[in-house]
Amino acid sequence: MRKMSIDFEFRKLVMDYHQGSDLIKYCYQCSRCADNCPVTKVTTDFYGTTGYNPRANILKALLGYKDLIFTEDELIIWGCTVCDTCDEVCPQDIELTEIFTLLKNQSIEQGKGPEFIYSQAKAVFDSAKAIPSQSAIERRRQQMGLPAVAAPDINEVQTLLKNIGAAKKLK
Amino acid sequence: MFEGCTIGNRIPFIEAASRKVFEKVGIETSQAPFSCCPDPTGIKSFDNNAWLTIGAMNLCLAEAEGKDIISLCNGCTNTLRGVQHQLKHDSLKKEKVNKELAKIGKEFKGTIDVKHFVDVLKEHLDKIKGSITKPLNGLKVACHPGCHYMRPAEWMESDDPMRPETLKKLVAASGATVVDYDELVLCCGSAVTNAYEEHGLANLKNKLDSIKKAGADVICVNCPACFQQFDTRQRDLSKKYETEYDIPVVYITELYALAMGYSADEIGLKFHRIRLKSILEKYGL
Repeated sequence: MRKMSIDFEFRKLVMDYHQGSDLIKYCYQCSRCADNCPVTKVTTDFYGTTGYNPRANILKALLGYKDLIFTEDELIIWGCTVCDTCDEVCPQDIELTEIFTLLKNQSIEQGKGPEFIYSQAKAVFDSAKAIPSQSAIERRRQQMGLPAVAAPDINEVQTLLKNIGAAKKLK
Repeated sequence: MFEGCTIGNRIPFIEAASRKVFEKVGIETSQAPFSCCPDPTGIKSFDNNAWLTIGAMNLCLAEAEGKDIISLCNGCTNTLRGVQHQLKHDSLKKEKVNKELAKIGKEFKGTIDVKHFVDVLKEHLDKIKGSITKPLNGLKVACHPGCHYMRPAEWMESDDPMRPETLKKLVAASGATVVDYDELVLCCGSAVTNAYEEHGLANLKNKLDSIKKAGADVICVNCPACFQQFDTRQRDLSKKYETEYDIPVVYITELYALAMGYSADEIGLKFHRIRLKSILEKYGL
């Protein structure tokens, strides 16, 4: 039996996520988000009891059922492919993807989440680019008559990431 | 011009075609030392404050020059417009971000605009039509504008979020035939494929089956993440489902460059994983 306890701190975090807006409260679980979610379509069974489900995530988040969201099955959070379709079809104008961003950020705080997120964050910290410059591609740019990519200020990016507290979450 | 990490440092041939087209239609650009935008499906999921602050830093670089940003990528446009929107509508967030930016001697003001290159091309349609010397008559094109070009509509302000038209209009201007298909607005699944390949490929199958059914010769995109997803993962898809998926992928600016008379070699079409050779021969390009 799963734990069903309300985490009020987590609930406040969800409710406060959009300053000046409490739209999430007005979710009436119509399921348009899940009906239109491309990942729900390929991961869930007929009754929607398995796989990725944006509707269920919103319900759990607004009620503060933190334990039901952050389980061993990270697909519950990381199944979201950030296509923003749910945002468009929601009759209550809830910005679901923003709430899912919060859930993902929280998952990272716990040291969880997929490898590619960590490797991209590390690349941005090390080189200020998600894809660092490589000599083979630089040569190709030259051959095609393209100017070199203007080099970003890595120190500035690192300073920002350290001060915000993002750097310490890197693996 | 914000070429972004993927185009700049991985698939620069798309930048080459884009620059040629911009030159033909009179869109002038310059370079700035932008960092990663950062990725709305990557860094944003890692730490939203990092996403906001670095995004604002990039906007500051353009503000310093007093120029608007033209982006070659859906993700970069989505981030830069999203950051700008949040900071303009939330003074507390803006204050917080500016406190961090002050430590590197910058301040976000919100004085410039961020445009997706497709929307800029749309404003130059007459000039584009005038520059076309080899209309792509007969070529059947399935359009894939991609999620972050038009969603969320509230602040992307580009196209209808569920019935996009702009890319189709741009393709039609090249003389090619736009073929409609059921899953036009379905995501390419790039982000979920990175986390869960099995589910990502299942989604990609839905997308490509629909495109195949429509009889398209090529898929036309305006986002490097979608480009990569289609160009590199159709092979994985073919293996997994034991069905052949090999529809070539082209950027809208590559399509235009061809229609404006540039050769496949000049714009580096040979760097595509899925070869365009037989299609180009079929239509005499």
